[in-house]
Amino acid sequence: MPALSSTMTEGKIVEWLKKPGDKVERGESVLVVESDKADMDVESFNEGFLAAVLMPAGGTAPVGETIGLIVETEAEIAEVAAKAPAAPAAAAPAAPAPVAAVAAPASAAPVAVPAPVAVSAPVAAPAPVASGRVVASPRAKKLASQHGVALDSLRGSGPHGRIQAEDVERALGLTVAVPRVAEGSGPAVVAAAGNGAAVSAPAPAGEAFGRPGESVGFNTLQNAVNRNMVASLQVPCFRVGYTITTTKLDAFYKQVKPKGVTMTALLAKAVGVVLARHPQVNAATSADGSAMSFPAAVNVAVAVAMEDGGLITPVLANADKTDIYSMARTWVDLVARARSKQLQPEEYSTGTFTLSNLGMFGVDRFDAILPPGTGAILAVAASRPTVVAGKDGSMRVANQMQVNLTCDHRTIYGAHAAAFLKDLAQLIETNPESLAL
Amino acid sequence: MNPTTSDAICFQPPGLVEFPRAWAWQQQLQRRLLEAPSGPDAVLLLEHEPCYTLGRGADPSFLGFDPMAPPAPLHRIDRGGEVTFHGPGQLVLYPVLNLQRHGADLHLYLRQLEGVVIDVLVALGLRGERIAGLTGVWLDGCKVAAIGVGARRWISQHGLALNVDGDLSGFAQVVPCGIRDRAVGRLVDWRPQLTLAAVQPLLLQAFAQRFGLRLRPPNPQESLQGW
Repeated sequence: MPALSSTMTEGKIVEWLKKPGDKVERGESVLVVESDKADMDVESFNEGFLAAVLMPAGGTAPVGETIGLIVETEAEIAEVAAKAPAAPAAAAPAAPAPVAAVAAPASAAPVAVPAPVAVSAPVAAPAPVASGRVVASPRAKKLASQHGVALDSLRGSGPHGRIQAEDVERALGLTVAVPRVAEGSGPAVVAAAGNGAAVSAPAPAGEAFGRPGESVGFNTLQNAVNRNMVASLQVPCFRVGYTITTTKLDAFYKQVKPKGVTMTALLAKAVGVVLARHPQVNAATSADGSAMSFPAAVNVAVAVAMEDGGLITPVLANADKTDIYSMARTWVDLVARARSKQLQPEEYSTGTFTLSNLGMFGVDRFDAILPPGTGAILAVAASRPTVVAGKDGSMRVANQMQVNLTCDHRTIYGAHAAAFLKDLAQLIETNPESLAL
Repeated sequence: MNPTTSDAICFQPPGLVEFPRAWAWQQQLQRRLLEAPSGPDAVLLLEHEPCYTLGRGADPSFLGFDPMAPPAPLHRIDRGGEVTFHGPGQLVLYPVLNLQRHGADLHLYLRQLEGVVIDVLVALGLRGERIAGLTGVWLDGCKVAAIGVGARRWISQHGLALNVDGDLSGFAQVVPCGIRDRAVGRLVDWRPQLTLAAVQPLLLQAFAQRFGLRLRPPNPQESLQGW
């Protein structure tokens, strides 16, 4: 939902000018949004196809809400439609919206009240362009040029009206909310377990999906996560922790970082290599509980929290065999497509082992909930300088991180978990360079 | 007021204009600005033949007649808001502006249009009011100006309608703007000597001042189709 005004908090969709499946040209009007007595044609900034309408005509949506999805190719329409079957249903609570919209003149009152002030000082309003110069962040400029957004048409939310990437995204209106965690590692497993507060560290304020006193329905993705998390209560889980010294890994990471390798890729690779040597930890209890199934490949899924709620677990397939450079590239692509909800099902549902990394938040320890259909998930906390005592009584400072493995005890026993963790620690502590081979 | 002033083309088609013609002109002017966003703003000031218009999202239940057999032509148009009536004695101002040069804010634009009418009323010694949440301009609780706009890429269309001395009975057959409990008024009921011709320059002047525009007549190459 694009902002038609600085004071606009929500808009009513008057009409979709395109139906799902219709081709959309760049600059072509896709829908009409109304707020107060003003209508605006909302255009697509990209050529493509309208794949899904998430908020039907007559509905009201808050500014910034995803109201429809545009895909690049015709082939992706069916995919989106298949993946978002619940979307129209999720939008159903908005059905009484026309009623709310009719009542809008009254509820819009706070909007109109400050208006005389704005009118008496019309020059103050277009602050971002007041000096004729548009101030925007580099990422905002890049996004704007990619999507053909005129920066001077935007209202910056940054310091002194600086246009931020979020402002461009908001202006695009039709884009999907991006995951809050840029690198793509996931607080989500923990958040789902109710420890969401732990996630709040990096943001100026903790994320919340509702305001105090409200009750907010789960979205489709959150409901899917809920089902998976509740299903885990049927699994007899246990947890094993390990402290791993990462001084060498950190040094190696510094070397490969300029080549585009991320910590996520390094950790996934390390886990993949060790899993290949510990097939029991890569195994899972079959759905009917009658057998242990040993997957043909080592596919490491990494949890990614979505900003609008829920999480997704893009999969780095054959993590044991793929080189870290390709893996880092694949990961960037997976996260980008996860943001735009364009992942194929096999790209997020074929993990044989899951990695959940909260290290970037400075978390020192946590444990994760086991996703169904897998045998284990590794929770990775932050690596921090620690005073380490040697057996001989010597002391030194080393970077250490805690990892915590959650396992299905039907398939994986304590000894399996311990052996896996010992091997993983040894690889990371003594020979991280081998990950590049 | 605005420190910078730029030219805007002012069109004043004479006589009573059928709604579709005026709409086509606005579209022509809007297209011109879409193609050349740095081109001059434009404004149309005219009077309509009697007609009803509905915003794109308007509720037909506010019509007091069968939409298939309206007492005057009925048009569903690309603006916001509910049904309204246009007719002789009502000044209609249609600014076709690149709103990016005027704040890029549709709510601010609505407030500015209200401000234009309020300025006109001030010039007549009257105190027009805004009512929070009810876009338009009100005089002693009666609505004297209706406002409804539409925009594409921040190029505006439609605008405001100010009742000066026309017959208001056309409003009686609808629920104007979907507001049931408030009356529609016309300026002549407050200023009996007032004529349309006297209000025209006040309206253009207030508009030009509010938006920091210098109105000029069209050049020969800026003519409207079918004028």
